[in-house]
Amino acid sequence: MNPAVGLPIVMALRLATLAATLLAARRARAARLIAFPGSAAASVVTMLTAVSVLRSGSPADGVWFVHRASQLSLSYSVDGLAAWFLLVLSVVAVPIAIFSIGYCSSPHFSRRSAFIGALYNVLLGAVELVFVAGDAIAFLFAWELMTLATAALVATEHEERESRSAAYLYLVMSHIGTGCLIAGFLALASASGSLSFSAALSGAVAPGPTRHVLFALFFLGFGVKAGVIPLHIWLPEAHPAAPSSISALMSGVLLKTGVYGLMRVCAFGLGAPSLSWGVFVVALGGLSAVLGVLYALMQHDLKRLLAYHSIENIGIILLGLGAAMMGLAYGRGDVAAIGLAASLYHVLNHAVFKGLLFLGAGGVVMATGTRQIEQFGGLLRRMPWTGLFFLIGALAISGLPPLNGFASEWLTFQAFLFGFRGSTDSLVHFLFPLSGALLALTTALAAACFVKAFGISFLALPRSRAAGEARESPAVMLVPQAFLAALCIALGLFPGVVLQTLGGVTTSLTGGELQQDPLWGGLGLGMTSGLESFDHLVPAMLGAAMAAGLAVAVALTLRRAGAAVRRVPTWGCGGELTAGHEYTATAFSKPLMMIFQAVYRPTRQVEALAEASPYFPREVRYHAEIEPTFQRYVYGPLVDRVIKVAAGMKVLQAGSLHAYLAYVLVLVVGLVLLVWWRG
Amino acid sequence: MPTTVIHPALLALGVLLQSAGMLAVAPLLKVAIKKMKASLQNRQGPPWLQGYYDLAKLLRKEPLRSETASWVYVAGPRVYFAAAIAAATLVPVLTAAAPLESAGGILLLVGTLALGRFALATAALDTGSPFGGMGASRDMTIAALAEPALMLGLFTSALAAGSLNLGVLVRGLVAQGPSFHPSDLLAFAGLLIIVIAETGRIPVDNPATHLELTMIHEAMVLEYAGPDLALVEWASAVKELLYLTLLVDLFMPVGIATSLAPGALLVALAAWALKVFALAVVVTLVETTNAKLRLFRVPELVSVSLGLAFLALAVRFF
Repeated sequence: MNPAVGLPIVMALRLATLAATLLAARRARAARLIAFPGSAAASVVTMLTAVSVLRSGSPADGVWFVHRASQLSLSYSVDGLAAWFLLVLSVVAVPIAIFSIGYCSSPHFSRRSAFIGALYNVLLGAVELVFVAGDAIAFLFAWELMTLATAALVATEHEERESRSAAYLYLVMSHIGTGCLIAGFLALASASGSLSFSAALSGAVAPGPTRHVLFALFFLGFGVKAGVIPLHIWLPEAHPAAPSSISALMSGVLLKTGVYGLMRVCAFGLGAPSLSWGVFVVALGGLSAVLGVLYALMQHDLKRLLAYHSIENIGIILLGLGAAMMGLAYGRGDVAAIGLAASLYHVLNHAVFKGLLFLGAGGVVMATGTRQIEQFGGLLRRMPWTGLFFLIGALAISGLPPLNGFASEWLTFQAFLFGFRGSTDSLVHFLFPLSGALLALTTALAAACFVKAFGISFLALPRSRAAGEARESPAVMLVPQAFLAALCIALGLFPGVVLQTLGGVTTSLTGGELQQDPLWGGLGLGMTSGLESFDHLVPAMLGAAMAAGLAVAVALTLRRAGAAVRRVPTWGCGGELTAGHEYTATAFSKPLMMIFQAVYRPTRQVEALAEASPYFPREVRYHAEIEPTFQRYVYGPLVDRVIKVAAGMKVLQAGSLHAYLAYVLVLVVGLVLLVWWRG
Repeated sequence: MPTTVIHPALLALGVLLQSAGMLAVAPLLKVAIKKMKASLQNRQGPPWLQGYYDLAKLLRKEPLRSETASWVYVAGPRVYFAAAIAAATLVPVLTAAAPLESAGGILLLVGTLALGRFALATAALDTGSPFGGMGASRDMTIAALAEPALMLGLFTSALAAGSLNLGVLVRGLVAQGPSFHPSDLLAFAGLLIIVIAETGRIPVDNPATHLELTMIHEAMVLEYAGPDLALVEWASAVKELLYLTLLVDLFMPVGIATSLAPGALLVALAAWALKVFALAVVVTLVETTNAKLRLFRVPELVSVSLGLAFLALAVRFF
């Protein structure tokens, strides 16, 4: 569907759904049944629009509104990059909407159905506008609308202090970012003489050093939204606080608006990136990936754990993007094309598997009433389908073949190795293998973390009564998870299809051609791009080999007819095995905590309460904590400084109207003089 | 592109032959190491065929499973086994081409082995026994530390040879002819450490212990019995053979067959057996002359490997 037709339909659908939801606000069930299916329908139209742009390969743009006097216009522009992000958005927005119908009918959220449903539509509309905006004004308007809608959704459970403060933190951090973006766009506009992206982002409009300042401003602005470490502190607070379906959307798509901005402006909008920018992006990507997964390992709140994994995956996305920027900087379009393809592929994959995992977590939290992994256990028996889908998501996020996470991480590795061969710069020769090693570490740690998250939550004996009595989610919540799980498998088995879809985008942005290995078509990944061929991948062949291997294993252990498996109790070290014997999540991640002490700087207090002899304690209290490094050493002092400055500025705030009028007068006179003086 | 069109039937035959061959030889390697270790300790080792007797006995036994376990517990050893066989077909053994090399190279190999490990570690948590959790936790910890060093070591060889695909890589090395670069020595030492760590040998893990405080891999599979255990043991043996073959491929591909002529294959078989045996001697010597490290000293060992790999890169490319 042509964007000129598709976009107005989407917006009309969203507005109509919004109005109908608000009209039905008093009847929760009706509101749910209007808001979410309506939103899903709009997302389907978005998907069709995005697919048509990706398929035709020609960008579509147009103008919505022109203000004649000021020559100000609001315009849209859907090129390959925007279409790709629209596709990612709608692929996860549809299942999340269906899931929400069931999720919001739980007693906990039922009375807020209209609130969540209405804002869900506003939020999706805003994100769609962010991706299609063709000028700075439309972009910033949509950006702000998106921020406000998200903040409201984070504060859905506003009785909880935790939710309120998470929403507040999110607002503050987002607005610091938005401030940087406004400054950046104004500077770009004044340099290029136009607010429209096609002019302002057409290349190196700003001279030398200004370009670096602009890069820094935009990186800060978009980096906050993407949750790049050290700008991430709002993320692990806001994602768990929101309702799970919204968390899925925040993790899957909203973070990607930051990535979109980084690509649109920082990587390909300010002229050819300088090598130092690429190094900067790779360095922060590596930092986010490793620290994200390390912090995730220590979390025992399921949603918080997933939130930290989002930081990790944003890091992986940035590693690919950084490699692409470095490739462009040293003049290898083909390296850049592979890096960008890896990055965009991972954007899609992360949206799919993280959406799936958050939906599964939502079902579990709804069934047990807690987010603490240590309170789960044995859920696979009570919730077999949720467990199966969560396991598929866990395998995918751990980067294991033949699922989708592996394909995009494989491509990221290729970018580093191609990049290494394509350059003789010693910085590149140092940084690329190091980044490869960091990526390997990240993937392996993620696998450890998800063995813990899945194993402790879903296997063995229930660790609490709530877990023992959990009920499986209704079909309306399971079907979306099944869809996303199937997508995890399909995107892993058909990487060639993804690469073909991406080909136009990467070529137009980097100039590098991604040539598919024709032998395997949609099943394979393999580049013949000028460089010596490095490796190729056909996950389906491995899948077939694994299936054959499984068949052999089953055949080897096939029992003779009649011989049954004997069920015996697990050895409980002399007593009866209870949930108290089981290894806990804390214990599972303890070796890694000890090994990475320098990062975590753990503190622990053990208190033994004894009556007579210290050797026979009546009670032992144990408290362990890892140091919140960034809060303590970066944000704490910063906030103190800001409060001090604000206190100093109180002098200006005299409370007298006359004084305020005088300020205004002085300012206006000052500005007039300035304009007159500068000619 | 190195992928040449191979007839699917030929490909399937190659996969079948190589996986069957690796399955057949793997128990022998375990016993060989045990025998050498025993003779270094003035003991008499097990008979040469003991590995096969053990597997046959375990496969015949009645399957026992915990009451608390779910299907994940059943799937664990099977996926582990399948991953080991699939991985075995990704590595060139006798010919300078791996049967499944058109599926992928080094990264796919590492990923496939990681899949097997994930399955087994997850299954270990299923019985509720604390030992399973302990083993899973330690195994995943060591794997997480070893993986970057393994990747970096493999990258060094791959970058030198110009391909990450093992078949292409080995063919490149063979075409180059016997050559020596100082970085090979560094990379080899680094990778050997990782191979020892990944195969659960002293000084990282002790395959012969069942002492609760020190076991890693054995703790993870402690609850398994009968046919399930047979699968785990067999797959572990294949994995060990696979890692040694990988070292042979990367650093001493001399003798590997470049055609399917019977004479060349026989030479390749003899050369491969000899080289793997030589590596097994090294592994045995390391295992006999060292004490097992504390778990928290393993990171130091792994960082030595990481350092060696970096040095190898530096020597080669700076």
